[in-house]
Amino acid sequence: MAVERAAGGTSLIDVLDRVLDKGIVIDAWVRVSLVGIDLITVEARVVVASIDTYLKYSEAVSQSVPVARPALESRPYDEIAAENQALRAELASVATARQSIPRQTTARRRRPGL
Amino acid sequence: MAKKSPAKKAAVKRAAPRKTSSVKLASVKAPRERAPIAKPAADVPHAVDSGKGKYVYCVIQSADLLKFGAAGIGDNGSEIHTIHYRDLAAVVSDVPLGILDSTRENVLAHERVNEIVMRDHTVIPMSFGTIFKTRDDIVQLLRSAYDAFGDVLTKMRDKMEFGLKVLWDRDSVVKDIEDEDEGIHRLKNEIASQKGSTYFARMQYGRAIDAALQQRSERYGSEILDRLRDVAVASRINKPIGDKMIMNAAFLVSRDLETAFDSRVKNIASEHDKLTFKYTGPWPPYNFVNIRLKLERV
Repeated sequence: MAVERAAGGTSLIDVLDRVLDKGIVIDAWVRVSLVGIDLITVEARVVVASIDTYLKYSEAVSQSVPVARPALESRPYDEIAAENQALRAELASVATARQSIPRQTTARRRRPGL
Repeated sequence: MAKKSPAKKAAVKRAAPRKTSSVKLASVKAPRERAPIAKPAADVPHAVDSGKGKYVYCVIQSADLLKFGAAGIGDNGSEIHTIHYRDLAAVVSDVPLGILDSTRENVLAHERVNEIVMRDHTVIPMSFGTIFKTRDDIVQLLRSAYDAFGDVLTKMRDKMEFGLKVLWDRDSVVKDIEDEDEGIHRLKNEIASQKGSTYFARMQYGRAIDAALQQRSERYGSEILDRLRDVAVASRINKPIGDKMIMNAAFLVSRDLETAFDSRVKNIASEHDKLTFKYTGPWPPYNFVNIRLKLERV
């Protein structure tokens, strides 16, 4: 088939495929690598000191990040602790309630035999 | 430690076998596993701040102040200008300080600016969405990574990236395989004529088809790569997207071989009427530059 070259910026998918996580990325890694024909990987400690910056990562759109994470992260500790406590209380009450259940169950099971 | 792939989410895309020789520039902090959790909250201050920030598109080599027109991110197309440290320049524009959404407009504006700058300069593209608070922060960035940026710029000089995706019509390839492969042909007839359960035959058939498809797609892939090898400086194979794609590659091409590469791609495409080629570029060398910086506060 015949093929024509399309300019870079014409396909959003192709753009997204590149701009979100390639090129210069500022994150936890200290790494400079070039994927060349001789595939040179250069690792360097490039510490950008005293930079107070905003960073927006591609993570919002990245498939690798669980959707639920931000919600989880943004919840204050107190709230989670409170929920935890509530759940424990509920668990305890369920456990207490359960103690009576087996008796009922056994009773019910016995009935056919009677 | 070079083996410890820098890829994070990009890991899947970095399918290319990497013959990697590692040149250490300076001492490296023990590379830590990248935690799946993003930045500590302290590094990302509150999204809403009244001030202006500077959005960085790419890094180029230039000692002169440059302007690239009002093509930047934002409603009115902010003015693209440069911030310098020695002979390096960051190409930036003013944006409201805050977290930038990766909307269609914003992402395309990022790419558009890179393409404009690329016409006359070798660029190291910045990944989308990096905003610095002040000019000084950007100078600091350029200063800290000065050697690394210089090195990469030298290696990328007069080179461009092209994208090549190859797709096929899976169903028609399956038909071909059924016709050409005797074993599979027999299996298919068996299933058609058999009475009772064909479960086992169908399993066998499925596996055989999968293997044959895999083999064919690999054969196409390596053939195409081979034929482009002498007109490209480097190639990188990314993970195909979807089951119709059999190859998702990027090529780094010297400016003086652009025409040769171009006609080679067209030649290859014209010889394969069953394959669909999606050929794009020139791109900034996103697939061939991978610079990961760590921010540290003093």
